[in-house]
Amino acid sequence: MSALELAQWIQGTGWATYLRMSAYIYPAILASHLTGIALFAGTVLVTDLRILGVVMRNQPVSGVVNQLRWPKRIGFLIVATCGFLLASSKAEEYYYNTFFRAKLALLVLVAIHALVFRGSVYNNAAALDQARRMPGKARLAAALSLILWISIACVGRGIGYIEPPLDKLHAALSSIAIVVPR
Amino acid sequence: MLIAFENPLNESALAFPILECFHILGFAIAVGTIALVDFRLLGFGLRQSAGELAQALAPWTLFGLILVLLSGPMLFSSDPDMYYLNLSFQIKMVLLVLAIVFHYTIRRKLLRGQLSPGLNKPVACISLLLWTSIIFAGIFIAFVVTPET
Repeated sequence: MSALELAQWIQGTGWATYLRMSAYIYPAILASHLTGIALFAGTVLVTDLRILGVVMRNQPVSGVVNQLRWPKRIGFLIVATCGFLLASSKAEEYYYNTFFRAKLALLVLVAIHALVFRGSVYNNAAALDQARRMPGKARLAAALSLILWISIACVGRGIGYIEPPLDKLHAALSSIAIVVPR
Repeated sequence: MLIAFENPLNESALAFPILECFHILGFAIAVGTIALVDFRLLGFGLRQSAGELAQALAPWTLFGLILVLLSGPMLFSSDPDMYYLNLSFQIKMVLLVLAIVFHYTIRRKLLRGQLSPGLNKPVACISLLLWTSIIFAGIFIAFVVTPET
């Protein structure tokens, strides 16, 4: 099964079709995705800015990193779940979407970032408390994390601006809107 | 009197999406930092005292709000009639005023210890509910249509 076939199959499932065609559920999931982004962004921002020495300097790095670990995971779970639902409802269309592909590529970079830095920085915060000066690797990890997540947010917004290639799509597109009488 | 002029924002196809990125980053920073303090009031997340935490994050909240309040009116200016008549936009503006007033009056008083700690949880819930509703109303602007009369 090719990636395109997989995308077509997901988009054709009953629930993906239901999401795409719903006037209220689709925007509600999109809004939840953005609410999750705000919650997740707060935890990422404060964790990375603390490592960079910008905020909460009177608090130990390990305290900030460890106390934000679970809120960060929950935020990410909300964003990822809603993101998966949104993507699957238009999977075939997004297969051709350059911004969607770029977003996936950036998420791969996030995974690589975790592999490279999690052990030595985020899971090693107690050692960072002892360091007289924040190690360069920790600063690099924090800076890259901020740059990656900001890029992902912007690229994500770009997805909605690419017109679907109508000649290539199989599933019916949604054109439903909530009509409010004056 | 109707003054006819071209909004420079409508000259470039890139202006609107770029402003939207600033709008998203702005509310993520503002609502994200507000939520961390609200979670502290509810008893989870960071363990520094809520008052100190609010003070430490206040500049970032304000920075986020400034980004939003600069980019928002510019987005609005691209198609004022549509926004003005859009029910979701109208709800969003009412909620936004309520949220900002609440944030800088009752919530700030609470965080300075001028209100009973018994109000910690209600205030945190109202704050989270207001800001979340604003995000929802903002998204629904694009999905609501008012038929032409």
